[in-house]
Amino acid sequence: MRQANRTFKVMRRSPYQALAATMAMTLTFFVSSIFIVLIIGGQIVLNYIEQRPQVIAFFKDNTSQNKIDEIITNVKNTGFTKDIKFVSKEEALAIYRERNKDEPLLLESVSADFLPASIDISVKRAQDIAEVTKVVKNQKEVERVITPENLVAQLVKWTKTLRTGGIIFVTTLMAISFFIIIMVVGMRIALRREEINIMNLVGATKWYIARPFFLEGALYGIIGSSIAILFIYALLLFYSPNIQNFLGPIQVFPIKPIFFLILWAAEAVVASAIGIVGAFIALYRYLKIK
Amino acid sequence: MIKFDKITKKFPSGQLALADIDVDIQKGEFVFVVGSSGAGKSTLLKIITREVEPTTGKIYFNGEDILKIPSHKLPILRRRIGTVFQDFKLLPTRTVFENVAMPLEVVSRKEAEIEREVASILEKVGLLEKASSFPAQLSGGEIQRTAIARAIISKPDVLLADEPTGDLDPKTALAVVELLEKINDDHKTIVIVATHNSQIVDHFKKRVLILEHGKLIKDEKQGKYATS
Repeated sequence: MRQANRTFKVMRRSPYQALAATMAMTLTFFVSSIFIVLIIGGQIVLNYIEQRPQVIAFFKDNTSQNKIDEIITNVKNTGFTKDIKFVSKEEALAIYRERNKDEPLLLESVSADFLPASIDISVKRAQDIAEVTKVVKNQKEVERVITPENLVAQLVKWTKTLRTGGIIFVTTLMAISFFIIIMVVGMRIALRREEINIMNLVGATKWYIARPFFLEGALYGIIGSSIAILFIYALLLFYSPNIQNFLGPIQVFPIKPIFFLILWAAEAVVASAIGIVGAFIALYRYLKIK
Repeated sequence: MIKFDKITKKFPSGQLALADIDVDIQKGEFVFVVGSSGAGKSTLLKIITREVEPTTGKIYFNGEDILKIPSHKLPILRRRIGTVFQDFKLLPTRTVFENVAMPLEVVSRKEAEIEREVASILEKVGLLEKASSFPAQLSGGEIQRTAIARAIISKPDVLLADEPTGDLDPKTALAVVELLEKINDDHKTIVIVATHNSQIVDHFKKRVLILEHGKLIKDEKQGKYATS
């Protein structure tokens, strides 16, 4: 407790160094949080698309039920599908009527014979859409195939890019924070050299001397990551109506408080680890005591 | 209790600080180490705390070879040795109380114990009223007594004092050494004082080790200050 008080005192005495270290940590973990939220958001959108029928194959008029069953078996055998649903001409008409119930003109002359039977296929992973589409298209009884393949491919590509870019960017920021911590703790050691020297001579252990510096490094991490989480929480709270509006039926909000709690805990652990390791390197580099 | 066994210290610059020192100091002894500047007095004291390591030779404390103590156990040795440094080494940003409390803080003693023991030691050295003062607000004698209080707060087996009377007037210097003598008498603490104050040495009639260019030229039980 005495050492914790002394650490706070030292931080207060040179507030600009403390501020620089805390701001570097805040920026690092604010940007990390943004990337994490974007990556998780992208995954939610992908999951949403994956849960919907991603491939719809329409059959030619004279296709027999036996042939349709055979095609369904072939598609199932690829191992990529999660669910295959047969939609008969009658069911297609019912869907058509439901969708156009407010437009009587469109309903007048349409009968089941006008609409083709189809199968709605859901795949296990978005990446498998192309393979399933290829199998379906090869069936001569299939007249037309509708697939959001390009959209999904784009989404997968963006998510991957976001992940890679995020990792590179966040790692760079973490490295900057790490070096700032080394520099700040190094300056603290230089400022307290006389005190450290006396403590050493009156019988303080290395651990006793080093503890306040570890504590300081960890504090920068915890304070920085906490501020970052508060920022990201406020930002998401403020923009949630706009984001939800943009996403349409894909339900992302409200984000459960537990998500922020877990994010904060994880970031606080990583941030304090950066602070402690930074302090350790500074101590190893500058604290030459016998 | 402290045994120097053929201790030689040669600094990287080539300067010979100590040469073949053989000395045995027993529990309860009061020893003056005298000699002119550069004779090796401070180096001799620093070897006891292993602030400086000898080039050759061995040094024993209570039968234990100090040089073989692993570095993580050095603090345990240093807690048994109190030091009054030549330049005092008091922290200017800490009060007298906080400076004196430092050896107890580093061993994580409880707040209440520290309060009690520091007050008691400050009373002993006559500085209780100055407990809240900073070193800059003290006289030379008071600074020296603060340094002594810090050196003895953890009840060490050995007290080393490097030029404790350095810039003090004769009366204050005498009072400071009387205080060291009292500590020696009361607790049978070994007191080793490095000094070039001949009046003090001659007044107290204690054991005197005379160093000259790093060599021990005289070791007398009730010696006098006399360098060639």
